[in-house]
Amino acid sequence: MNRRGFLQLIGATGIAALASSCNRINSVMATLPSSTNLARFPEKTEMILLTDRPPQLETPLHYFRQDLTPNEAFFVRWHLEGIPISVDLRTFRLNVSGHVRQPLQLSVDDLRSQFQPISIIAVNQCSGNSRSFFEPRVPGGQWKHGACGNAKWTGVSVKSILDRAQVKTGAMDVSFNGLDVPPLPSVSDFVKALSIDHARDGVVMIAYAMNDQPLPMVNGFPLRLVVPGWYGTYWVKALSDIAVLPHPFSNFWTDKAYRIPNAPNGTESPKDLAKDTIPINRFNVRSIFVRPDPDEILHPGMPTEIEGIAFDSGYGIRRVEVSTDGGATWADARLDPEIGKYSWRRWRTSWTPRNRGQYQLMARATNVVGDTQSKEQWNRSGFMWNVIQQVDVKVG
Amino acid sequence: MTLKIKSVVLALGLAALVTGCGHIPNNSRKADRGIGNAKMEPMLDSKTDSPVHTIVMPHDEPVFSPGEGRDEFVTACVVCHSPRYITMQPQFSRTTWLSEVKKMKDVYGAHISDEQALKITDYLFSINGKAGTGQGPKGTYGE
Repeated sequence: MNRRGFLQLIGATGIAALASSCNRINSVMATLPSSTNLARFPEKTEMILLTDRPPQLETPLHYFRQDLTPNEAFFVRWHLEGIPISVDLRTFRLNVSGHVRQPLQLSVDDLRSQFQPISIIAVNQCSGNSRSFFEPRVPGGQWKHGACGNAKWTGVSVKSILDRAQVKTGAMDVSFNGLDVPPLPSVSDFVKALSIDHARDGVVMIAYAMNDQPLPMVNGFPLRLVVPGWYGTYWVKALSDIAVLPHPFSNFWTDKAYRIPNAPNGTESPKDLAKDTIPINRFNVRSIFVRPDPDEILHPGMPTEIEGIAFDSGYGIRRVEVSTDGGATWADARLDPEIGKYSWRRWRTSWTPRNRGQYQLMARATNVVGDTQSKEQWNRSGFMWNVIQQVDVKVG
Repeated sequence: MTLKIKSVVLALGLAALVTGCGHIPNNSRKADRGIGNAKMEPMLDSKTDSPVHTIVMPHDEPVFSPGEGRDEFVTACVVCHSPRYITMQPQFSRTTWLSEVKKMKDVYGAHISDEQALKITDYLFSINGKAGTGQGPKGTYGE
């Protein structure tokens, strides 16, 4: 397409978008910022609306009282406007190409019938989960704590597929592309990569089922890359192309975006931005309160159940401590049994407040290698939030 | 040359917006702005036994109040993404808004001139700027 044709296309796209947006005007942007908006998208329940095009939907926190996050409530985050809205399983193929002896074109049925199925319970979490809590505030998806979820993923290991494709010697990276397309040719297609060793570790998998059901379209139907313990940016949705590369992978989404300061916990100072940055990778350790509700009024002398979840990148949660006095004193919470290395782990404690007043609840998780949560953290992109959470409750 | 073509195309798009919308709602009305509070297109989830799986995405975007730079914003930005990318942000300084607009232009290749970028920045700052800290490098493109 020449430049003129391209520009006309852009114009036409714009007109189409504008015209269709005029069909149902029921909202006026007069003052900002907004209160929480809820929205229902196809195959999804009512979720917190960040953006509608492309969709970014956050899970209401009460769903985290379940060990597995229901598919219809699982968070949604796309980068590019052109997300897939229709997939024909008769023609859809997962292509495996590049530095291999045997390129492959596999249907979803092929994956289901020709490979050993595996299942894993794993947390997926957006790199920018909890971004809205950074101070000073940073631009980006203004998530609270609901850009994560825990699901049982079923599919095939990437290793088994690469073995079938017979990777040649000298492979370095493996790139993963999905069906989503950029709105302009100048925007990089969303493609991510893992090292060949990571891709072949037997844990990284391609899921065709999520909690024993096909994935919702907006969660990556029909196939999604699952990278347990790593941030969601690597979990490519609507996965359609795998390429084995004899050289390091390089594109905008790896070289420029999704980078963190090369410093402990990806932290830097707003006044002195880190010059040395690296691609975001494994989850740090964190915990999230799921009970009581922030606006729940508790009563003196009445036992109250405090509950939350904690997870890390797969080492395992060893301890969660809870404070009911703003961090002055801490006591161990009870941990539910582990349900998987890459799953979150539930913790609980009972608390009987003595007096009326305001209380600050805090939770601090520690994993088996001794990583824990801190009180302060900041980076320019708003990634990897794991500051000790404080929930203010009223006893009245 | 290409700039001319671009202007014509964008102007056409803008014209379509204006005529298509009929009128711009009164911005003094404080209306609900959420998809959830409002009428929603019914979902057309396809049957699970069909080999073709199709969804219909809802389309309901906020309409912005009139102001200097609104036309540039509507034309250049919502081609690629919902205006909710603006409304979900906290109030930012003009410097921050300018760097966001620059990112869209220089990194993602949004088809806007430096002049348009400044107008868009002014508009974003006017609707979602942080009072007091907003007097940034006005009139200059770049920091």
